[in-house]
Amino acid sequence: MKSLEVEGLTISTVAPLIKKKKISPVDLTRAYLERIAKINPLLNAYLAMAEEEALAAAKKAERDIAQGKYRGPLHGIPFSIKDNIATKGVTTTAGSKILADWVPDYDATVVEKLRAAGAIILGKTNMHEWAKGSNSINPFYGTPLNPWDTTRIPGGSSSGSAVAVAAGLCLSSIGTDSAGSVRNPASLCGTVGLKPTFGRISSFGGVAGTGGYTVNHFGIFTRRVKDCAFVLNQTAGYDLRDPLSSDEPVSNYMKTLGTSVRGMKIGVIKGYFDQCIVSEVRHAFDDALKTLKALGMKIQEVVIPHIDLVPAAQAGSTRPEANSDHDCYLRTRPRDYSPGLLYSLIAGLLTPAPVYVTAQRVRRLICEEFDEAFKSVQVIVAPTIFSPAPTIDECNRGYIEADGKRINLADRAGNFLTRYTIPFNVTGLPDMSICCGFSSAGLPIGMQVVAAPFREDIVFQVADAYESNTEWHTRNPPVQ
Amino acid sequence: MKDAVRRLNDEYKFNLTDKEIDIVAQQVEEAALLFQPLFEVDLSGVSPLTKVDKKVIKSVAKKDTK
Repeated sequence: MKSLEVEGLTISTVAPLIKKKKISPVDLTRAYLERIAKINPLLNAYLAMAEEEALAAAKKAERDIAQGKYRGPLHGIPFSIKDNIATKGVTTTAGSKILADWVPDYDATVVEKLRAAGAIILGKTNMHEWAKGSNSINPFYGTPLNPWDTTRIPGGSSSGSAVAVAAGLCLSSIGTDSAGSVRNPASLCGTVGLKPTFGRISSFGGVAGTGGYTVNHFGIFTRRVKDCAFVLNQTAGYDLRDPLSSDEPVSNYMKTLGTSVRGMKIGVIKGYFDQCIVSEVRHAFDDALKTLKALGMKIQEVVIPHIDLVPAAQAGSTRPEANSDHDCYLRTRPRDYSPGLLYSLIAGLLTPAPVYVTAQRVRRLICEEFDEAFKSVQVIVAPTIFSPAPTIDECNRGYIEADGKRINLADRAGNFLTRYTIPFNVTGLPDMSICCGFSSAGLPIGMQVVAAPFREDIVFQVADAYESNTEWHTRNPPVQ
Repeated sequence: MKDAVRRLNDEYKFNLTDKEIDIVAQQVEEAALLFQPLFEVDLSGVSPLTKVDKKVIKSVAKKDTK
């Protein structure tokens, strides 16, 4: 029997067919497993497969649906999970040598919720070592490759998740984001990537040391905005096991999809997002603004007076928070880190305590400034990354050449690949990256849509309106 | 700064080479420059951020605290 063609499928198109029993969850799961077996050796998106468990879950889904026990739009839908999120009985390495053999005996809350919704967990996705970087060049497990051009990075740290979704190796993936680790690879791989408000999705089950406590968020990868709303509906909510999760009521994120954005106001922050931006990204972003304007939205400039302090506030928060979880390994297995990460962790040990506290105070100031901005606009939009995906060689040498000049990929303020995303980790604001164009080399370009705390409904409304009026999301990467 | 790195090296038994100590010390010096502007902001009346709320709780107005 010819297997199901899964490339280009979306949750929105598959879920109704599963509900009507026109697609079998078992056939669907088998088709994804077959495609992974064929494509994954080219892309290195998955680190570990859970084939037996996935097929058992698919058979159960099929039985339940046959008995009239359809659980909703994630029932029978194949997912992948970033390898720093605990999955019972499946290795969870965090992309590290240190945890190479760790098999959790519990599921993260988000995994529990997905399983309860009937989702099928196919396997665990590759990532930057300990989620501490955005190029995902991983010396222990190999580098995941961008499906649009395999000489290029897919971004990170949730690289495997973005590659898997973009290349049709699952329908959705769960990642984590403490500096842009969902939005950055979503942008470079041309998928939807949502980092919801801080605390919106429980972080219980995230591997300690893979993200600062107060800047880390669990996030969602899908191919469509609507698909992402399905997943957030199932995964959001307060969790007793995560004291930093929020008890704000969970909306139905489908409600605003397809509703008009006419008359809504968009804020554009000048200055910060102009740093180093390459002309192709600038043009794609400007065109996206024109599209939003044509939909009846009004564009105005907003000012965040202390936004230039974001890199310092981010680093001053993340380094001490993440370091606190590495102390035991630094004392016992320091040479099981890659050299670059080891050096930065040691440097992090010398961050003075007043830096941490002052960073938290500056963060409140910046939150107040965004709060003020959201009194006059409903969303803020910005490019997700200053450039399309660099090559692996460019990452290794530390710079790209664009617009006739050399642009370094990092400076003392950190990594340029996360410069545009960290303002929304420092503030915890909900932020979605969607594809807003392609470079002349055929590489995706991303745009961030940001709203006030817990207004994911507005993020979905605007992102869906943009997606519905453009065709970027219909393209598929060339990998077959 | 190199002395601070060397003390850590002894305490944690990293066995860093001199070249590695230089690399780490340079990173610490760069970080200090990055963090310096945080201390130049007037933060009187601004408390640390601990959790994101739907409505940002305004800090006490600075003019009231001076």
